[in-house]
Amino acid sequence: MKAFSDYHPLVLLVYFLSVLVAAMFVNNPVIGLLALLGGILFCIMLSKRSEAAGNIGFYAPLFFMVAITNPLFSHNGVTPLFFLNGNPVTVEAFAYGAAIAVMVIGVMMWCKCYSAVMTSDKFLYLFGKAVPKLSLVLSMALRFIPMFKRQTHKVSRAQKSMGLYSSKSFIDKIKSSMRVFMAMLSWSLENSIETSASMKARGYGLKGRTNFSLFRFYPRDGVLLSVCAVLLGVTVAGIITGDTAFYYYPRISELTFTPLAVAVYAAFGIMSFLPFMIEVKEALKWKYYISKI
Amino acid sequence: MKKDLLALLGIILIIAVIINGTEIQSVDEYYLTHIDDITPESETVFITIRCDTILDNLDALDENLREFVPPDGVILPKTEYVLRNGDTVFDILDRAVRYNKIQMEYQGAKQNSFGSVYIQGINFLYEFSCGPLSGWMYRVDGEFPNYGCSKYELKDGQSIEWIYTCDLGRDVGAEWFNNLGGQNK
Amino acid sequence: MEILHIENLTFTYPKTKKPAIENIDLKINSGEFTVICGQSGCGKTTLLKLLKKELAPAGEKSGKIFYCGVLQEELPDKKSASEIGYVLQNPDSQIVTDKVWHELAFGLENLGVPTEVIRRRVGEMASYFGIQDWFRKKTDELSGGQKQLLNLASVMVMQPRILILDEPTSRLDPIAATDFISTLQKLNRELGLTVIIAEHRLEEVFPIADKAVVMDGGKIIAGGAPREIGEKLSEINKEHPMFFGLPSAVRIYNALGIEDSCPLTVREGRAFLEKHFSPEAELEMLSEYKHSETVAIEMKNAWFRYEKDMPDILRGTSLKVYGGEIYCILGGNGAGKTTALNVISGLEKAYRGKIIINGKPIKDYKGNSLYRKLLALLPQEPQTVFIKDSVREDLWDMLEILEIPKAEREKKIAEISQKLGITELLDKHPYDLSGGEQQKCAIAKILMSEPKILLLDEPTKGLDAFSKLNLKKLLRGLKQERMTIIIVTHDVEFAGETADRCALFFDGEILSADIPERFFSENNFYTTAANRMARGLWKYAVTCGQVVEKCKESKGEAT
Repeated sequence: MKAFSDYHPLVLLVYFLSVLVAAMFVNNPVIGLLALLGGILFCIMLSKRSEAAGNIGFYAPLFFMVAITNPLFSHNGVTPLFFLNGNPVTVEAFAYGAAIAVMVIGVMMWCKCYSAVMTSDKFLYLFGKAVPKLSLVLSMALRFIPMFKRQTHKVSRAQKSMGLYSSKSFIDKIKSSMRVFMAMLSWSLENSIETSASMKARGYGLKGRTNFSLFRFYPRDGVLLSVCAVLLGVTVAGIITGDTAFYYYPRISELTFTPLAVAVYAAFGIMSFLPFMIEVKEALKWKYYISKI
Repeated sequence: MKKDLLALLGIILIIAVIINGTEIQSVDEYYLTHIDDITPESETVFITIRCDTILDNLDALDENLREFVPPDGVILPKTEYVLRNGDTVFDILDRAVRYNKIQMEYQGAKQNSFGSVYIQGINFLYEFSCGPLSGWMYRVDGEFPNYGCSKYELKDGQSIEWIYTCDLGRDVGAEWFNNLGGQNK
Repeated sequence: MEILHIENLTFTYPKTKKPAIENIDLKINSGEFTVICGQSGCGKTTLLKLLKKELAPAGEKSGKIFYCGVLQEELPDKKSASEIGYVLQNPDSQIVTDKVWHELAFGLENLGVPTEVIRRRVGEMASYFGIQDWFRKKTDELSGGQKQLLNLASVMVMQPRILILDEPTSRLDPIAATDFISTLQKLNRELGLTVIIAEHRLEEVFPIADKAVVMDGGKIIAGGAPREIGEKLSEINKEHPMFFGLPSAVRIYNALGIEDSCPLTVREGRAFLEKHFSPEAELEMLSEYKHSETVAIEMKNAWFRYEKDMPDILRGTSLKVYGGEIYCILGGNGAGKTTALNVISGLEKAYRGKIIINGKPIKDYKGNSLYRKLLALLPQEPQTVFIKDSVREDLWDMLEILEIPKAEREKKIAEISQKLGITELLDKHPYDLSGGEQQKCAIAKILMSEPKILLLDEPTKGLDAFSKLNLKKLLRGLKQERMTIIIVTHDVEFAGETADRCALFFDGEILSADIPERFFSENNFYTTAANRMARGLWKYAVTCGQVVEKCKESKGEAT
């Protein structure tokens, strides 16, 4: 999974936001299913094979739980299956529950992909454009936190190996971690003095600081961005005209297949499978290159 | 982490089912309501269910609900039912909708803060279905009682009207009802 | 061309009477490699910081510093920031950002260099330093050596003309340190970069330096070409403590006092010895090693790994340490020496095998009993031992936890500080101490629990030669008190001088435990510099002292 995450952070952000917003707010089963399938495919590409089994073990029960919860609380719908405590449990409520489950899991998948693709440095870059100082502070914090953790671990081990604070009692444990924490505060201070010395030595505080980043806006980023914009435009048009409107209550409405609705389905389908398609295209390209060599 | 989350959801689900109770009826059982025959000695009440205010506010109504609004706005014309001892407005409504197989959803007395049954929707027309100020109200002999429908015990000959309002009761003549947001508080 | 000129520089910190440095006069030519040496606290760091105006400490300063003929105060900020590079001691704390590439670009960002230029300069620097493989990594994932290299590269990217380094290798293991020094040499040779470096480890730096400056008590006591330094020092004092820090060849040469040019490297030292001495006629027999009957620590076939699907770090490790001996475990970086120590100290549990401490399996020590009057571990960074604001409070805290009555505490603290010579340090903040002082105070703290077995993890890291000597004396003294000491170290010189027995840790096993003379003479590479020089003549001479002794003996025979 390289080709897609190599796009410019801005393009990635726009892409993820449009997919997520559409998946969350368009109440249409086709859109929901497309988002879910796209998200699953994307996730599979991002994750290791060994994780897949564990993920199915988590998401399948989650799906059923969310789907079952809805009919327990919502009794609307024209097709009652049975009555629970005098309130109907309906087919429509089940269908709506399933739709919510599809949406929830789809969104979860996309969020997972988002956090895998939008690494901290991409996020910082986007942020840093707006507030340069803040991005440096965040970058320093990201540097400091793991170091602080490691040092804390070292100190508490050192204390333990001297036979201090290693008793099992809970109060002792709290006391000891408090002491270690206090020591860590002075360590942080000491550390930051040296960091600031190193910053000063390298000219921090001079006028006219620039912001460097590794990301470049290539033509292909522009292409992807415009593709996203067009697809998003079509989807939004469908929502505004109501061509993709869909209702579960009280009676499940029929799917509309007006030309615009079909266009929206197609547009959103392309959008949610875009990472997969880019990946496949790239893989084919490589195969082609290798066979040529 | 993930497993904990699943377990938590499962537990919530089970607790919800236990609290709600598990009295299960089939559809036929539910609608199989015994209606006492009206005899000259029996005490009776009248019930009407209407939603004609929606007809004036069709724009605000969700499109897919149009089919559930009768052309004249009358869901149940004025009908006479036998009054059993201790019957409340809710009991009569419950019997009437079951007998006529009209859909109705309510919130049990234990599940809300009023301590009374709250009618959420009749014939798929729910509160907020026709604008943010819409919902079901009831009137007994032309007066809007200021308390819940399962607390109002009926007397012989009284006439109940369930009316759908689109404007917190103002459009059905319940001016004093302004700051109370439901049909049966 | 003269690039730096220091004229009569004196500096006094606020609230102190004695100047930290006094009447320093120093000229440094462009392209020179200058090494500044001296014991901790001799004023090296103060001098170096004063050379870079951004880092100059607050205090009273007199005298002048000229950079390229311009008075330091009149130097433009941008020029000063970019042309005078400064690398500090601690590889960790001088890294500012979370990504390697960002760290490299940081200085150029500050100078306001446009993105495209930064991209080119960063790329150039990364390829010169061989950073491209970890260019996109997080700075936190790097090894110590890589971190220090990154610090150097992120200074070099600003294209400095002078590079000032304050003990840059003191926190690195020997291999990383050697790599770092040879990178410096490369920069000096290939780019003509002027280098000023303060160092403890002179074995590698001395031969490549053009000029050596020895400081003591804030003054320059000797300066000149490295070959002349020894003689200049002996003129002041034949037994000057600074001698301990000089390379073995220089030490041996100066101890013998033979008229010849001073050798600097092992190769030169070997040639020097072979020129003046002839090999021993018959091989000397080593006396049998006498150890006590008691076994303090025994490890039998211990296996350990950190996680289920990670490789084993201990693979059937066995070792036997007798009561009252100093046992050194040597071995390469990341071999698992520290892990072995942690398993012995009970911090980690072996999943197979037995560890027996004082005749009792380690798992039978319940709760804290192992750490009460029995075993104590000094971790690699003595800093981590302290958690209070002064050494005294730390010792007091330790006694409180050991449930020593209040009345006795003062007495105990006085006793131990006298013994270790830390009485003057008691009221200081632990972080304000130098490496050697920290070490001593840390040992004082762990000795409070009156252990019979002392485990030390890399105790010589970051210590100057004199502190090492002190540590050796201290450990020898503790041995006299029947304490068993296990040391894990990279430092072959220290092991050669201190240990009763040495062992090599390799591939999860402990190999060839033997007395230092036999252990090192069997090794070809993994041995002391003195042994490498003298092994053709006297196989079993391991330390400088032993070599000098042998030389004097054979001279005596000759005459």
